[in-house]
Parts: sequence; C-alpha cells; structure tokens
Amino acid sequence: MTGLRLAGAALASLLAGCAASPSLKDGLPASAPRTIELDATPFFPQQEFQCGPAALATLLVASGVEVTPNALAPEVFIPGREGSLSLELIGAARRHGRLPYVLDTTADDMVAELEEGRPVLLLQNLGVPQIPIWHYAVLIGYDAERNLAILRSGGTERLEIKWQRFAGTWHRAGRFAFTTLPPGVIPAHADPARFLEATAGLEAAGQRDAAAKTYEAATARWPGEPLAWLGRGNVALAGGDRAGAADAYLNAIRLAPDDVAARNNLAELLLDAGCLGESRRQIERASALAEGTALESSVADSRARIGATEKAVAHCQFEDRDWPD
Amino acid sequence: MRIESFRRTCVALVTVSLVSLGMQAPAVAGVISTGEAASAARGESPRALVDATIARADVQGKLAELGVDAAVIEGRLAALSEQEIATLAEQIESAPAGGDALAVIGIVFVVLVILELVGVIDIFKKT
Repeated sequence: MTGLRLAGAALASLLAGCAASPSLKDGLPASAPRTIELDATPFFPQQEFQCGPAALATLLVASGVEVTPNALAPEVFIPGREGSLSLELIGAARRHGRLPYVLDTTADDMVAELEEGRPVLLLQNLGVPQIPIWHYAVLIGYDAERNLAILRSGGTERLEIKWQRFAGTWHRAGRFAFTTLPPGVIPAHADPARFLEATAGLEAAGQRDAAAKTYEAATARWPGEPLAWLGRGNVALAGGDRAGAADAYLNAIRLAPDDVAARNNLAELLLDAGCLGESRRQIERASALAEGTALESSVADSRARIGATEKAVAHCQFEDRDWPD
Repeated sequence: MRIESFRRTCVALVTVSLVSLGMQAPAVAGVISTGEAASAARGESPRALVDATIARADVQGKLAELGVDAAVIEGRLAALSEQEIATLAEQIESAPAGGDALAVIGIVFVVLVILELVGVIDIFKKT
C-alpha cells in the first residue's frame, strides 16, 4: 500500500506541474512569432552522463566558440555525481569568453532569447519531485500552432515535446535556464541589475577584455547605471588605463554621489597616480558614507593604507583635474 | 635532441597558459570589485577572507573526493566568484547534477504507476 500511496503522490504532483502552465498559444507574448526554430544550432549527441558538456558545447558553438563536448567534459563533469552542476556550466562558459546570462524564471525570457537567435540551455527534471532525474537540454524553438517545444536533447537531434510537458519538467527543476552571449551583446529584454552582475562574474573570472567590451556596451545602453560605470572603471584600472578608469568613476559618482565603491576606488586610483591629497579627501568621503554598510571594512582597509602613506609615490598624474566633493 | 627541446618548450608554454588562466586579473590594491559592490547594493555582506579561503579548500577537497582530476580543479574554480564558490561548497552533494543516467528507469516507473492507477496492471502489492 505504501508503494501505491507514494506512486499516487508522485503522479498527483506530476499532474499538478502540468496543470500549472497554460498552453503555449495562450501564454505567448502578443509580439512573439507563432513559430521559431533555430535549425542551424549544432547537435552533439550525448555520451553516457554527458548531457552537461553536450548541451554547453551546443550553446558555445552556436555563439561562435570552437569547442567539443569532449573538451568540455574535464571542465564540468563530476564523476562521483555522474553529472554536471549548473554553476560549473556557468564557470566553463566564462572560461571560453562568453557571458552566461541566467534568465528570469518566466518562459517569456526564453522566448525573447529565441527571438534574438540564441538557443537556451535549461535544466529539466524528467522524473518527479520525489525521484528526480536531472537533465540538461537546449531549447531551439517552439510551435504555438501545434503547442510544441523543440529541443536538442540527449541522443535526439530534434525532439518535439508538448509545451506543457516541457514547461513542467523545467518547473520541477527550479526554472533554471541561461544563454551564452558574445562580449558586448546585450539582450533587448535584459534586466540591468541581472546583466551587470553576470558581467561582474565574467570580470572575476579574469576575462578582462570580454568584460571591458561588455561594460562599454552596458554604459551605452544604460548610461544612468552607476554600477555599469564602476565596472568599466574597474576593468580599465586593472588594465592600467588610469585616465579611462578616472572618467568612469567620475561618471558613477556624478550619477550617485553616495556611491561608496566608486569613491573608494577613485581614492585608490588617485593614490596610485601620486595624487595623495585628493586621494585622502575621497577616502574620507567614502569612509563616512560606508558607515554601517556591507562595504565598511573594505573601505576601512583602504583608509588605513592611504592614511599611512606619507609621501606620494610620484608627481600627481591628474594635477589640473577637478574632483567631486 | 631537437625534439626533446621542442617538447620542453611546448610543456612550458602550456603550463604558462594554464597558470595564467587560473589567475585573477591583477588590480590596484584595495579596489572594491564590481561583484562586491553589486552584492553590497543588494544588502549582502561580503564574505570574510577567512570564510572564502575555507569554502575554496572545502570545494577543492570535495571535487577531488568525487573523482575530479586534481590538476583541473584549480582552473575550474578560477572561473567562479567567492560567492559562487561558497554556494558550491554548500550544495556540491545535493545540487541537481544533470546527467540523465536514470532516465529510462524513471520513464518506465512513471508508465507503471499510470498503468497501475488506471487498473491496467496490478504489480504494487496491496495488503
């Protein structure tokens, strides 16, 4: 009886997952095309347990990176788990110079990405919540008239599956999906905060050129976002471009005079450029603003170091510039 | 002889490129990273250096235990932020690992359950 009850519960939740999502036709944004199929998307049939490397290779090759599932396997596969973790797929995408952009948890973001010609990698639970079977597949299109999702999945080059069934497997896997963007490309539907954090991840992974290009595009697209200017300044400074970094930090501070990170980093830049007096003034301002915030200890470290510097290392590089109060 | 020195040059080149892959971008000391600023803006406090070091060592150990080649672990982690490594440390054994090994068994199970419930078959013992 216990077996049956468990089975009944499993089936009930399976059905509940299905009932939650509308048919594709009803859920599709009015502006979206009725059918899309990115049929030029490459196909790599997966080997045992290797749906992660296969799905990631599909996305990377579609975005112009030359790579194979075999080359990706040592970067993402975990033998003891007989599979790959989402975070490691994200890391591998960065290592290959692409920006992994994790989509919002509504299907609208997936549709929007397909509209812009990018296939979507997603996690599915092919089992039930109690007995999960995790699987990565790539969504390459849909057909609203026939209510279908079209996938590259496992050993199947072109898998058609009823939209609600597909949406149910995605829902039971926590609605995780991402696309890989070439440097400088920003999706039309992108959310600035989500996009800039993704770019910060690329920057932290040491992909400075790709991050620089992307921040540059971000400041053009969202000139009013201080974080985009901060990122642009940080990669410029890391690349040794002090003047470019100073301009970017100044833009961030102009937009948000209370921006602790931009003030702190400007102070560090000025110290590095031999402008000790102005560096002190900026770090004092940052320090007052940082009080009680998450950045307090980072700023305190900078302040201690700048305070302990008695003599500028060189003649001030930016002698005749004006700095914000 | 010439082949040997060629081989050495190759090994040195590959080593240099792998090592530089694993390095974070050199920056002016004390700069607040964009990621740190973003998570502070969301109200999250950055992890202490000690926490981050422990999390990294923890993940390295677990990946090795789970059969990942020790030589590639460092490079794998270099592409993740401190925050992401901490998340990985917490979830490495429980997070969904897409692999699809059991798909066939799972599908058979679901089919059996449906057949059982609609009364076509009767394999689950009822006592």
